[in-house]
Amino acid sequence: MINAPRPLHTPPRQASIGTRLLSLHAGSTYVFLYAPIVLLVIFSFTKDTFGVRWTGFTLDWYTKLFNDQRMMSAALNTLWVAAVSTVLSTICGTLLALAMERYRFRGRDGLDALLYMPIVIPEIVMALALLAFFSFSFGIFESLTGITLRMNIWTVIVSHVAFSISFVTVVVRASLKGFDVRLEEAAADLGADPRTTFWRITLPLIIPGVIGGALLAFTLSLDDFIISFFTVGPGTNLLPIEVYGRVKRAITPSINAISTIMLVVSMLLVFLSQFMQRRADER
Amino acid sequence: MKSLFRLLLGVLVMATIAACGAAPAATEAPAAEAPATDAAAPAGPAFDPAVDKSKLAKEINFLNWTDYLAPEILTNFEATYGVKVIVDNFDANEDMIAKVRAGGSGYDLVTPSDYAVQTMATEGLLQPLDKTLLTNAVHVEPTLLNKYFDEGNVYSLPYMYGITGIAYNKKTFPTAPDSWSTIFDLAALEQYKGQFSMLDDEREVPGAALKYFGYSLNETSPEAVAKVQELLIAQKPFLASYNSSDVNRKLASGEYLFAHAWSGQAMQARNGLGDEFSGNADIGFVIPKEGGMIWMDNMVILKESPNAYTVQVFMNYLLDPSVAALNTEYIGYLTPNKDAIPLLDPAISALYAEGFSPDAEVMKRLEWAIRNESTAVFSDVWTAVKGE
Amino acid sequence: MSMVPSVELPPDQRQTRTRSLVGLLTPGVLWLGVFFVLPLLIVVVYSFATNSPTGKVIWEFSLDSYRVLWGKELFYNAYIRSLVIGLEVTLICALIGYPLSLHMVQAPPARRNVLLFLILIPFWTNFLVRTYAWMLLLSNNGLINSLLVALGFAKQLLYPSEGAVLVGLVYGNLPFMVLPLYASLARFDFTLMEAGSDLGATVVQRFLRIMLPLTAPGLVAGSVLVFIPTVGQFVVSDLLGGAKVDMLGNLLQRLFTRSNPPNWPLGSALALVFMALLTIVVLVYFRTTTEEDR
Repeated sequence: MINAPRPLHTPPRQASIGTRLLSLHAGSTYVFLYAPIVLLVIFSFTKDTFGVRWTGFTLDWYTKLFNDQRMMSAALNTLWVAAVSTVLSTICGTLLALAMERYRFRGRDGLDALLYMPIVIPEIVMALALLAFFSFSFGIFESLTGITLRMNIWTVIVSHVAFSISFVTVVVRASLKGFDVRLEEAAADLGADPRTTFWRITLPLIIPGVIGGALLAFTLSLDDFIISFFTVGPGTNLLPIEVYGRVKRAITPSINAISTIMLVVSMLLVFLSQFMQRRADER
Repeated sequence: MKSLFRLLLGVLVMATIAACGAAPAATEAPAAEAPATDAAAPAGPAFDPAVDKSKLAKEINFLNWTDYLAPEILTNFEATYGVKVIVDNFDANEDMIAKVRAGGSGYDLVTPSDYAVQTMATEGLLQPLDKTLLTNAVHVEPTLLNKYFDEGNVYSLPYMYGITGIAYNKKTFPTAPDSWSTIFDLAALEQYKGQFSMLDDEREVPGAALKYFGYSLNETSPEAVAKVQELLIAQKPFLASYNSSDVNRKLASGEYLFAHAWSGQAMQARNGLGDEFSGNADIGFVIPKEGGMIWMDNMVILKESPNAYTVQVFMNYLLDPSVAALNTEYIGYLTPNKDAIPLLDPAISALYAEGFSPDAEVMKRLEWAIRNESTAVFSDVWTAVKGE
Repeated sequence: MSMVPSVELPPDQRQTRTRSLVGLLTPGVLWLGVFFVLPLLIVVVYSFATNSPTGKVIWEFSLDSYRVLWGKELFYNAYIRSLVIGLEVTLICALIGYPLSLHMVQAPPARRNVLLFLILIPFWTNFLVRTYAWMLLLSNNGLINSLLVALGFAKQLLYPSEGAVLVGLVYGNLPFMVLPLYASLARFDFTLMEAGSDLGATVVQRFLRIMLPLTAPGLVAGSVLVFIPTVGQFVVSDLLGGAKVDMLGNLLQRLFTRSNPPNWPLGSALALVFMALLTIVVLVYFRTTTEEDR
C-alpha cells in the first residue's frame, strides 16, 4: 500500500453492471439464507401438529412454551453462556492477534500452531478431553482442600472461551494484515501515548475484525451441543441440549416457536443497540 | 467505526442483562404439562409410612434417557415426599458412561440399558441395592429379572423394556409382513425404494440380518459376518435412511411404508405423541417369525451417590403399579411391571394384544444382544457398510 | 508491508514493548494453556494407552492405535469422502461468499452493519432446527417439490441425498467464510482498483492482480474456518444424507461414544493424526499465501 489509506468508506460509486450483478447475487444469497428461517417461523404458527403443513393459525405453541419452565431456563442459560464467553474470548483473542501480528518473539511459531489447534480439533475430542481434564483437576483439588467441585455452568463457559479464542484471533488477524503501522507511528510522533494510539487509531481500524470475531464466538457458543453436553453438571439445562433431545423424538411447532423467539430476541437486541448508537451519534 | 464497537458492546451488555436474572438458573422440575397439584392431597400414591422422612435428601439428580419419564410423576413425588428430582438427559449409553466414568458427575440415579449395566457394574461404578427398601420390586415380571447383565439383580431393577421388529403401514401391508425378507429380499425392495428405513445402530441392523439368515443375534463366525455385511451393503441403496430418531413421526405421516423399529416407536406412530403429533391408526408392529431383539433399560444407583436412601425411595415409588402405568402410557415403551398392565388405558392394552407387546409365544423368539470381545466385529461391519 | 520496526529501538522503548507484549499474550496464552493444552495432553496420553474390553482406557503403553489406524483400510473411504466434500463445500462457500462480502463493503456504512447482522441472524437459531427446516424444504411433500409440481415438473427425490448434504453444509458454513472476507475487504483500498483501471487493466485483471492478492488473507482464513468443521461434522450428513455414509466426524463420534465397546485410544490417535495434518496444511498455506511479502 503506497498511498496513505483514503477514508475507508469511499468505494467507487459507479452503478455499473458489475455492481448490479453483485446486488442480485447478494439478494439471492439472502433468500437462500432466510428461506428455511422464514419457513420455520411460519410453521411455528400452524395448527398442524407435525409442523409440516399449514392448517390454520394458532398461538398455542407459544403459550405452551412460556409455560415450559425447562425450555425457558435453558434459553436464558444459553444466552448467558454465549454472552459471557463472547466477551472473554473477544478480549483474549484480540490481544493475541495483536501480539501475533505486531511482534516477533521467541515461541511465536509454536503459538501460531497452537492457535490453530482449537479450530482443527474435532468437537467430540475436545469435549471428552475437557471432561477428563475437569474431573481430573477437581479430584486433585478435592484431595488438597477437601472441597468438592462440580461441573456447572462455569465449566461450560470456560470451555466455550477455550475454543472461541482461536476463531476470534483468526478473524482479527485477517483484519490486521495490511494494517499500516505508519499510522500508529504518526500518532506517536504527534505525541499520543500508546494507550491513546490504541483506542484512537488501532482499534477503530481493526474493529470490523473484532466485531466479526465476536459475532462468530457468539454464534458458536449459542449452537454448541457436544462440548456443552460433556462439560455441564447436573441441573443446568442448555438450549442446544434440550432441543437436541426433543428433536430426536419429534420436531414439533414448539421447537419452531423457541427458535422464532431466539431469533426475535437477537434481532431486537441488534436493532435496539443500533437505535441507541444513532442517538448517541447525534449528540 | 467506534460506533460499531459500541454496537457490539450494546448487544453483549443487553444479552448479559437479559440473561443475568436467571444466570445460574438450575433447571426447574418440568412443570410444563403437569396438572396443578394440591399440596394437601398430592396425586399419586400416598406417603409410604415405612420411609424415614428425616433421612431424605432435599434433592436428587437423575440422568435419564430423553423424554423417558412422565413429568407429573416428578411433581407428585415432590409434593408427597418433599424431594425434588432434577432430571438431565442423555441419548446413548456410551455418552452416559463417559460422564459417569470420569468421576464426580454429581448424578445419583441413571438408567443404563442391559449391557451397559454389566459394564458399569464390572467397572465398579454402581452400588448394590438395599432390597428391604424396594418393597415394590415384587410387582416386576419375574421373567425380566435375573438377566445375564446382573444376575440376582444386585445393582439394577428394570425400568422399561422394548423389542425390535418391523413397524408397517396396513394400507401397504393388509397382512402383517411377518418375515425379515420384507426388509432384506432385494428383488422385492425396488417398489419400496426410498420409503423405508433401518435403525441407525451397529448391533440392531446386523442383528436383523443375522436373524434373516437364521442365525443367532450374537453369531460372530466369519462366514455369517461376511454374509451379513454383503447383504447390508446391497440393501443400502434402497433405504431412505438409517434412522433411530424420528421413525415414529415418519411412519405416522406416511413417509415411510415400513421400518425396522423399536416397539415404542411403532406405538408412538400409532397413538401419536402427547400433543406433539397425531397418531396413525394404520400402523402395526410385528416380530418376524425368524425372531427379533429384546432390550431393557434399568435403574441403578451410582457408587458416588451420597443419597442412596432417597434414590431408593424414589425407585420404589416408580415401581408402584399406578405410577408405572402412568409412566408407561406417557413413554410408549413396555413396562416390566406386571401389576401395572391391568391399570393401563384399555386402548393401549388392546395394542399390546395386537402385537406391540410380546406374548409368551413371541417372547421365545426374542434374544438379548450380548456384548463381548468377539461382538466388537460388528463395529467393523458397520464401518464397512457406512464406508461404501 | 513490514509490521515490525526493523531499526533497533532504544532500551527504554524496548522495555515498554516487552511489557505490552507480555500484557497482550498473558490472558490468551494462560487460558489456552490451562483449558486447551492440558486437556489435549490427556488425549495424547490416551492415544498411547490400551482399550479394555468394556471400552475403558487402561494405562498401559501401546502403539497399537497408531498401527491399527494405518492398517485399517475400512477407514480410507471415510477419509477420502471427507476430503472431497470438504473441498467442494469450501469452494462453493468462497464462490458465494466473495461477491457477497464485496457487496457488503460497498454499501454505505450505516447499511453495512445491518447487512453483516443479516448474515448472522439466521445462525442464532438452533443448528439442528435449521437443518430440520432444510429437511422440510427438501422433503417429498416440501415447498420445493410443491413448486416443481405447480410449475408442471415431476417431483424430485431431493432428500436424503448427497446434494442435500452439500446444501446443508454450505448453508451452515457460509458465515465462517463471509466474516473474515468481509474483515479483509473492509480494509481494502478501492482506489487501487481505480488506479489499475487508469493504467488500462481489465476488470478481470484488476481483480486477479490487485484485489484477490490483497484480500487473500481473508479468503484463506475463511477457507480454513469452513473446511475444518465440514470435515469433522456428522450431524448434517446424518440428517440430510440419511446417515448412510461416513465422514471423518462420524467415524470419530462412533469410536468415542457409539461403538460397542468404544475405543478412545484409537479415536484419540485418529483425531491427533488428523489435527497434525490439518495444522501443517494450514500453517504452510498461511505462510505461502500471506507472508511472502515480508
